Amino acid sequence: MTSATPIWEFSNITKAYPGVLANDQVCIKLMPGSIHGLLGENGCGKSTMIKTLSGVQQPDSGQILYNGTPITISDPQAARDLGIATVFQEFSIVPTLSVAENIFLGNMPRSRFGVIDWGKMHRDAARVLTEMDVNISPDAITGTLSVGEQQLVEIAKSIAMNASMIILDEPTAALGEDEIERLHQLLRNMRSRGTAILYVSHRLDEVERIVDEVTILRGGRVVRASGETKINVTEIVNAMVGEDIGEHYPKEQNATDEVVLEAEGLATDAGVRDVAFTLCRGEVLGLGGVLGSGRTEIARALFGTDELRAGQVTLHGKPVRFRREIDAIRAGLALVPENRKFDGLFFNFRASGNITAAALGSLSRFGVLRLKDEERATKELVRDLEISVQAEQKTVNFLSGGNQQKIVIARWLYTDSDILILDEPTQGIDIGAKIAVYELINRLTRAGKSIILISSDHDELLAMSDRIAVVQHGTITRIVAASEVTHGDLVRASANGPHSIAQEAFA
Amino acid sequence: MKRIFDTQLIGPFAAMVIVALIVALTTERFLNPGNLSNLFLQVSIVALIAIGSTIVIFAAGIDLSSGSMVALLTMILAQMLKFLGIPLVLAVPLILLVGGLLGLFIGLITAYGRIPSFITTLAALIAFRGLALTFNNGSPIFSLDPALEPIFYGKVIGIPMPFFYLLFFYALAAFTMNFTKLGREIYAVGGNPSAAVLTGINVRKVQTTTFVIAGFMTAVGAILMSARLNSGSPNYGQTLELQAIAAAVVGGASLAGGRGNILATLMGAMTIVIVQNGLNLNAAPSSVQNIVLGLIILMAVGIDMWRAEVSTLMRNMFGRSSAKSSTKIKKEA
Repeated sequence: MTSATPIWEFSNITKAYPGVLANDQVCIKLMPGSIHGLLGENGCGKSTMIKTLSGVQQPDSGQILYNGTPITISDPQAARDLGIATVFQEFSIVPTLSVAENIFLGNMPRSRFGVIDWGKMHRDAARVLTEMDVNISPDAITGTLSVGEQQLVEIAKSIAMNASMIILDEPTAALGEDEIERLHQLLRNMRSRGTAILYVSHRLDEVERIVDEVTILRGGRVVRASGETKINVTEIVNAMVGEDIGEHYPKEQNATDEVVLEAEGLATDAGVRDVAFTLCRGEVLGLGGVLGSGRTEIARALFGTDELRAGQVTLHGKPVRFRREIDAIRAGLALVPENRKFDGLFFNFRASGNITAAALGSLSRFGVLRLKDEERATKELVRDLEISVQAEQKTVNFLSGGNQQKIVIARWLYTDSDILILDEPTQGIDIGAKIAVYELINRLTRAGKSIILISSDHDELLAMSDRIAVVQHGTITRIVAASEVTHGDLVRASANGPHSIAQEAFA
Repeated sequence: MKRIFDTQLIGPFAAMVIVALIVALTTERFLNPGNLSNLFLQVSIVALIAIGSTIVIFAAGIDLSSGSMVALLTMILAQMLKFLGIPLVLAVPLILLVGGLLGLFIGLITAYGRIPSFITTLAALIAFRGLALTFNNGSPIFSLDPALEPIFYGKVIGIPMPFFYLLFFYALAAFTMNFTKLGREIYAVGGNPSAAVLTGINVRKVQTTTFVIAGFMTAVGAILMSARLNSGSPNYGQTLELQAIAAAVVGGASLAGGRGNILATLMGAMTIVIVQNGLNLNAAPSSVQNIVLGLIILMAVGIDMWRAEVSTLMRNMFGRSSAKSSTKIKKEA
């Protein structure tokens, strides 16, 4: 399958930014027909490496060999001409254009008169999509597709340009389990056709499943490169973090049998139907299911964002009705949204403004903010959660993803909420910050708070939850003790419904 | 105090001082006490209206209606004083109320009707001018009330009244924006509306409130306009809304919302007026004044944009030195 000579060889790549040596003599060899994992914590130099490989920036020193010949990748267009395709975390598709137009964007086939040859473009797009074995129409408007399908379109672009090397930066960050499997199948097909694939991911379990070789970076240097043997998750984590962290998931059992929240027959216009469950003091209830199965919509229904069409929520034995978010917040609920950038953070505020945003009422007297109290509380929470102290002086856009997520959670520590809904709380943050979030969950449940955890990372969901509610088509199909289900059970249980309720809502 | 006078004021303040220095050096009469107090009179109306425009901008909205609203309100005030026999002490608070209500109306349509404020206030800009023309057959009303003029021209301990209005309203606005729940909510709504919703902030109410403030401040401006000219006219306030927005922009407020300092708007307004004053003293025609005003706005936004470029440039220079150190590291290794 793999030939002896690498198609791309990057040797001793060094890149310095002010104050940091982002890449220090990094060597990566990419074999044709091989999936190469590039791993490491946030800030380890992965992004710098990707930028160098895709021609976005030039290395300070080092050599790039293509089939043994030294070359320079002067800019992104040069990279594309050399057959390097990069699928960045943030897609570069145009949502209002058709799938075919996106696939050939910037490279549309022309007829003799210089106008776009639409017929050829559609035939070629259809051919690529068939080759990929995906059921997407070339005529579909890309913005109406699910996130997973959009990602496939992004990959179709690289296939259409006959890439010899494809770089995938966190390709599964927004995908559900069945979509990840479909992506992996596609990558395996590309591998068998001899494409070199560089796979960058935080999700260690899937790295173990799909990757042939790994390069692990820490502090800008290669700390581990494996060509021959597959290495397991524990080894990867140890190499990334640089120490034996032992228990990856530090789960504490703090659940009691005192019911704090009970939902019955919940239904909303967003597709939630007949949702019933109970949540106990100190418990972590995990919501499992594929992307678009309705987990986020259930959270919105509980939080008063989407109006209830039917059903009843009971809090501490009393029936409640939340007409708006503020009602839910006052009753002790909290929501850490899935997308901290778009729904969570105020990038124009420092840590303090972000932390107190949900408690401005209690922070003020006669409408005047008690700024000294705010400053003091912020200082405490920043120290307590080990958030970068920069956050006290600078607006939060300067912080890493992990620090940002901690600030969103700190907001609800400040409100002293009893029930926290955490929607994908560890998405896109490094392993150290993830463990900090897990420890935070333990601390909250120890203090008698209850948590509803939504996560597409099944290992995390199984390890951190006390019970798991499987969500399909907007409803909870069953609730089981986390100890009684395996990863495989969860995948099977949620894989039955590939169609998202979002699509149903569109139809 | 640190909170109000933050680093965002340095740029607009420097711009104002530089412009003042240039005008002072090139124009003899600029520093005359008479001219300086005239400066305050000139800046007062636009600077007061700009408080409202800026607060709307902080919440990621835009108010294009203020110029026409000034015309409408001066006509209503003139009608009250001249034809309805309403005494001045009653007419002034009534105009403030009407201004606030007009703002409320715009705010409700914008926030609850989910129509972009650019559209609602553009519609208001056109409609208010038309409404102003329905009074007195579209003719200006002169010689309203002898007690009106001292509101603008009066002096206390030798200082013109508009100075005190500026002091009072800017202090109040700075306090509101920096020390109150409302101010924080306005910045939050402008910074990230969907995050504001999820933290329990009543986004629509906050947006509406900013337009009420804008309407009220426009009414303050309209009263001063009437007092200055002792009249009401459907032609008053042409392009005043754009000058107010220009003051905010020159002061560094981000039209995307969430960022800016209200006191910087005062400096922005001062900068614009100083330039106009300098051109006036040098007998430049109004055509030149408008061209220069256009250039100032471009430059203010440009400098804001180039700030990033400048810092990148600095970083690159700094980066080169650290790249040298990295080669040193390499040699050691």
